[in-house]
Amino acid sequence: MSKLGAVVEAVEKHASFVLEQVKRARSDEKFAQAVTERWNKVKAEIPIAKAPTGLPLPRLALPEIDEPGEIARYLFGDGLPGEFPYLNGAYREIYLEPLREIETGSYGNRKSPNGDSHNGAGRVSRAKIPERPARPPLQEEPTRLFSGLMLAEDTNKRFHFLSAHQRSKRLSTAFDGPTLYGIDSDADGVFGKIGEGGVAVDTVEDMVRLYDGFELGAPNFSASMTISGPAPIIMAMYIAAAKRRFGAKVVPNLRGTIQADIFKEVQAQNETIFPTEASLRFLCDMIEWTTANMPRWYPVSISGYHIGEAGSTPVQQAAYTLSNGFAYAEMLSARGVPIDQFAPRLSFFLDCGLDVEYIALARVSRKIWAIGMRDVFGANARGQMFKLHTQTSGRSLIAAEFKNNLTRTAAELMLAYMNATNSCHSNSADEPFTTPSEEWIRLAAHGQAILLEESGIFKHTMNMLSGSPGMKAVERAVEKAILDEFREIESLGGVLAAVENRYQRSQIQNAAHRYEQQIYDGTRPIVGLNRYRNGADEMPEIELVRTPRAKQKLQVERLKKFKKKNAEKSKRVLDKLGAVVDRGENCFPALLEAVEVCSLGQITGRLQEIVGRFRPMV
Amino acid sequence: MALPIRILTAVPICDGHDSAINTINLEFIRHGIEVVYLGFHRYVSDIVRAAIQEDVAAIGISSYNGGHIDFFADVVSKLQKKGANDVAVFGGGGGTITHDDARQMKRKGVDEIFFAGTSLTEMAEYVKKHYGKKKKRRIRSMPDLMLARKLTELEEAAGKKTKHRTSNTEHRISKVIGFTGPGGAGKTTLIDELVLRFLQRDSKTRIAVLSHDPSVIGEGALLGDRATMINSQDERVFMRSMATRGQAGGLSPATESCLALLAHSGFDYVIIETVGTGQEALPFRNKLVDQTVLVMNPDYGARLQLQKIVMLDVADIVVVNKTDLERAKAALSEIEQRLTQNKRKQEIVATVAKRHRDPGVDELFELITAKENNR
Repeated sequence: MSKLGAVVEAVEKHASFVLEQVKRARSDEKFAQAVTERWNKVKAEIPIAKAPTGLPLPRLALPEIDEPGEIARYLFGDGLPGEFPYLNGAYREIYLEPLREIETGSYGNRKSPNGDSHNGAGRVSRAKIPERPARPPLQEEPTRLFSGLMLAEDTNKRFHFLSAHQRSKRLSTAFDGPTLYGIDSDADGVFGKIGEGGVAVDTVEDMVRLYDGFELGAPNFSASMTISGPAPIIMAMYIAAAKRRFGAKVVPNLRGTIQADIFKEVQAQNETIFPTEASLRFLCDMIEWTTANMPRWYPVSISGYHIGEAGSTPVQQAAYTLSNGFAYAEMLSARGVPIDQFAPRLSFFLDCGLDVEYIALARVSRKIWAIGMRDVFGANARGQMFKLHTQTSGRSLIAAEFKNNLTRTAAELMLAYMNATNSCHSNSADEPFTTPSEEWIRLAAHGQAILLEESGIFKHTMNMLSGSPGMKAVERAVEKAILDEFREIESLGGVLAAVENRYQRSQIQNAAHRYEQQIYDGTRPIVGLNRYRNGADEMPEIELVRTPRAKQKLQVERLKKFKKKNAEKSKRVLDKLGAVVDRGENCFPALLEAVEVCSLGQITGRLQEIVGRFRPMV
Repeated sequence: MALPIRILTAVPICDGHDSAINTINLEFIRHGIEVVYLGFHRYVSDIVRAAIQEDVAAIGISSYNGGHIDFFADVVSKLQKKGANDVAVFGGGGGTITHDDARQMKRKGVDEIFFAGTSLTEMAEYVKKHYGKKKKRRIRSMPDLMLARKLTELEEAAGKKTKHRTSNTEHRISKVIGFTGPGGAGKTTLIDELVLRFLQRDSKTRIAVLSHDPSVIGEGALLGDRATMINSQDERVFMRSMATRGQAGGLSPATESCLALLAHSGFDYVIIETVGTGQEALPFRNKLVDQTVLVMNPDYGARLQLQKIVMLDVADIVVVNKTDLERAKAALSEIEQRLTQNKRKQEIVATVAKRHRDPGVDELFELITAKENNR
């Protein structure tokens, strides 16, 4: 049995544990009293704050229950935000406005902390509280917008534009096709692709240009890099670039995320360059090194987004993402990396579309992850938390009458926040055509600000929309379906074996085909496409972002110069890297050396000579 | 019955967006089209070479990662350079290709660009309408082009059941090796790994690979072996994918004549791969091949099943692939025992073809190249 089978058992065991607690709360008076006391204490400690209209509201909403069995079901089965099993959120207060003014008093209508009995909503004794609450909310906006275009200096300019109004600088980097495939810009046949759909990065010098002007080691800076196939090499380039600018002491302070998720590449996104096992080995080399040396970095973002975008159902997306995560945990544990060194550094990335499952998909994922990590892998609390970045669905956006995409994205954002995602990217409405242009990016970013800052939906009260009967029904159905998928994968011999038998791939492809069929036969309504179509099919005039040929040529020339300059040194470090890989040692230190004088393509090429190339699955 | 239209589909270099093309491929097949699928992240040169070798009427390219104007134009111009200007080029890229781009691309020789919102049926009907008629080709002295066209003629002749002269196997120039075995045993991967070794050992070696995928008479088929063969995308390798077009037994009605032609066309080795076969299959009769390799998966079920696999009696080499699986050790000893009943010299090789530089594949390569001297 792989660990995935054990996870299924653990989730089932947890469900019966919760039931036992419910029964016990109903039969054991002492226990019932303890449960009720805890509940009342929690409620009593919830501060009340005022909405701008003057309406007093509790900072945390809880179900209206007073029966000990139901209280036990809630506390053990769902958990308060920031408490196991984290159904309602990995952290408390993520979207809440900073608490400047509170109504002393409490949400519970029993005893307040200072002893007098009152109706929580009624008291108006105002008190200033100190500036800093326990966890400063919104110090980091959950906005993280994906961006990358043309050459490093162009993306750098875009980064400065995007983060100009942000208190925290959270950059998210998209790379161009050649970079994603570990190919140099001067390689045969890639001209035309340079800087398209993302930024072109060939060398450490590009990496320096890319983040120029940002304090890479600052506590309010974090960089996210969306790249998986050559991720260890790109990670090494990032570290090398940071060292060139700030010296070696910056390394432990680097914050950010690199996607590096090989499983989802093989299952869905197809940006893999080495055979699966070799890719996994390089990935684990990187995770082992970064978790030991860069404790604030997230070295893998276990991603369902691309699985969803490739056409999976939401349940498949969650099931494959979680099982991939458990498989990484199993591999790293088998290597002897301590669980509490790496588990807190695993993070997740999910798609959020308009299907009904998205009402609770991330909630259920958070719960299953927590149970699996605690009960199967023995992770500590930080390692149990499912830290989630969400992106609204690109696939749900269409070219026809594209302004409707604003509404689609807004609805998806709403679902993402209902799931208490820790950060979010909202897609630009013009994405079906091109790399987003500044006008539509601004609108996408503002969509988040409107929901979180302008509207009162999320900023006053945690759990504002959690736990409705409908949401509970979706949770139950989704959880059961995810566990069924786990069982299927387990019966195929676990994640790696299932991947090699192309199980996930063919499941995703079947779902994609069905989705397309549903669009064409109209059972899946798409406004402007198969419903309420206005007939005019011309594409709107939009500002296209394309990389001019002169820029592409510039990139090629810069790369050639770099290669010429480092011709001799690169040969030596590549030989050293090759020897390290051949000996089966952790290759990350050798990569750090190699990126100083070698291009991405040179390193990829040498590694492929040793471990082979990825053989695509159809 | 008219032969199916053959087209090739692919996704450009540095682009892994294969969701659309996978769906479109299925729709083409449903409309009776034979689709040679080359996969994603493909170089222009690989696409053009494959289109010529497979003698397709058109190339469909699905591009979602930008750079499409250059890429499509490059495909058209390379086709022209190779004398294959009658191979049409069409494609799409959802919303990433604008109407303006499409106009430019058409000026550069692209037939048609489909935009977002085009129905699958529309695309399939377009292909049937425009690429169904055979175009006259002035064959210049391009060897791949001529060979590919002759293979098509042999396939047409076999379809019409006209007797075609088959060449004498005695005077073949190439060594012909037949690979067979159940589906999922890893035949394609194994062949591709062998091709790598052929190409590396001798810089002059030329290889032909004839692979088969199942199809029913008059219906479409997905010919996808090329997509997973990374080492065989090489100027020294001639690959041809054949649909069985209704014939049982793992080969196509035209296999014999095509093979005879290939074996006289200057290749050092000709490799045939059957479709995934059942226990009773004996695909290589009448000295069709010089050496037979049966590729098995350790998960064949109970030991008793081995008694029923007829190929175990006649194969020259039995390869047990995927020996990294748990059952491999037991499988190897059971098969070895089964082979001793035959009382003839048969080799057994354990491989993990998916592994780069697998010593088992090296051993198989030695067996194949060593026996060559006996010819």
